[in-house]
Amino acid sequence: MSQTSPSQAWARTEVSADGAVLLTIGGAWKSGSALPEVAFRADRVAVRTEGLEDFDSCLPAWLHAHLRSIRSPDLSSLPLRLQSLVRMAETVAVTETANAEAGLLENLGAWGAESGSSWGRALEHIGHTALGFLRAGLGRARVNWNELPLQMQTAGVDALPIVALLGFLTGLIMAYVGLIQLKQVGATVYVANLVALAMAREMGALMTGVIACGRTSTAFASQLGSMNLSQESDALRALGINPVEFLALPRILAVSLMVPLLSVFATFVGVLGGMVVACSGDLSVDQYVTQAVKAVSWKSFVAGFIKSVVFGFIAAWAGCYRGHVARRSALGVGEAATSAAVLGITLIVIADAVFAVIFNLYDI
Amino acid sequence: MGHGGKAIMSGITFALKPGRILAVVGPSGCGKSTLMRALSGLDDPVSGSSRLLGRDLTSVSTEEREQALRRLGFLFQGSALFSSLTLRENVELPIREFLSPPRREQRQLAEYKLSLVGLADAMDKLPSEISGGMAKRAALARALALDPEVLFLDEPGAGLDPLTAARMDELILRVREAFGTTIVMVSHEVPSILRTADFCVYLDTETGRMEAYAPPRDFLSLGAHPRAYAFFQQNHRN
Repeated sequence: MSQTSPSQAWARTEVSADGAVLLTIGGAWKSGSALPEVAFRADRVAVRTEGLEDFDSCLPAWLHAHLRSIRSPDLSSLPLRLQSLVRMAETVAVTETANAEAGLLENLGAWGAESGSSWGRALEHIGHTALGFLRAGLGRARVNWNELPLQMQTAGVDALPIVALLGFLTGLIMAYVGLIQLKQVGATVYVANLVALAMAREMGALMTGVIACGRTSTAFASQLGSMNLSQESDALRALGINPVEFLALPRILAVSLMVPLLSVFATFVGVLGGMVVACSGDLSVDQYVTQAVKAVSWKSFVAGFIKSVVFGFIAAWAGCYRGHVARRSALGVGEAATSAAVLGITLIVIADAVFAVIFNLYDI
Repeated sequence: MGHGGKAIMSGITFALKPGRILAVVGPSGCGKSTLMRALSGLDDPVSGSSRLLGRDLTSVSTEEREQALRRLGFLFQGSALFSSLTLRENVELPIREFLSPPRREQRQLAEYKLSLVGLADAMDKLPSEISGGMAKRAALARALALDPEVLFLDEPGAGLDPLTAARMDELILRVREAFGTTIVMVSHEVPSILRTADFCVYLDTETGRMEAYAPPRDFLSLGAHPRAYAFFQQNHRN
């Protein structure tokens, strides 16, 4: 039992000889004020009031919480309005019942099925994209080509400053690290080979691909996810237009065209960054340029270029795919943007590893 | 009364007693939702005033207006549940912000309000995981979170099938009965209006004025309100 002053909410329990509990409540029950604590175990509970003053929802909520496990509490002594408020919470039928709480095994199964269907959806989207390009090539697809210049500008031209900054710093960092090691064997001149080859063959494409994931994939996922949310994608379907063809193809094409160009740009800027470091030491500009040009064969340059086309495609596709399958809520759009970046970067690194194996096998 | 500073309705005058349900009726675009926003103090009328709970909401400070808004509950047409929060968290939000009870009581109140609307088993679901009907009921639970004195419902039956809409009407009546809440409801669903409303305001797009203020049954016969009668006949048949 807990009882303080008359104006405060209080509750008292008494157990009768036959095991029934009599719960008496009184005082003023207001949300935000201290509510009493009672604990009882019984099959039969009768509730009555004694000096009950004003009350708001906190009283029926308190009674609802305490009487939930009792099959049919006796509320007949309560004021009619309070009875009605308590009973209402018990009697409103749940017409669209939610699924019962799932067990561990069920959750594991659901996760497996969801993962499977997620990969299935991804493959389906790749299929739609490939088919879309094929149909576009044959002039049968409805594609919003008006978007292409805008997307090329957004994914390409607008990305130039960030690509320049990161490319320059990457070349600079590689040159610093390389110089420390090469000085030990007296081969500082090879720092140009290191920077030029690494940028042309590996870092230019990889870095530009990652930048594309960070800024373009997420933008695509947000745009297409929002279109899902506002049913614009449904409207396209209703008009007989395939949203993948209409929306994704120009975006994917734009990024696949622009990332290789950005990658070449990043390579040159990276080599320049390396030059700043190398030429501040023993090397002359002539020596650095001669070594850099000698180091990068056409094969290496083309290898880097091919990679960047694929990385651009992956970055754009990841954004479009996650946008198309985004849940129809503000949260879903946010998730789509995050997962687009994660998916894009993961696939780019995997693709890079695959390229490394293939190029090694074919001695490229 | 208007939108974006432009008057679209004028001559709207009525009074509503506590505990009554008022339906604001009229064709699409007649300004029903705008009237509700003006009545509730969410928007200001272009001219005139709106007295609610004894206060002229057009002439109070922002702080006073916010305090007045806390005594009101809103059910928006699109439910407007916060998509990143579960249903329980959606209902808990105003309770936590304005009542600040201990955590346990906060949960009790939220669970009780969700039980009232029959969502006791779906409290931990996100809005994206439930149906439109459930979202409406969850939004109603959130609107009831602070025991509002006046509840504003914008198209409570919109997008619901007739059966679910009828259940929603039943719920509205139960809420009025249990809490004694005054309810202002915007709707163009005539069956729903006939089931729930005590009084009806008919807004006419052609005249730009309030044509009638009467019990909804009055609009079922050709009397003093021919436009409202025509609207009711048309929508009742559909």
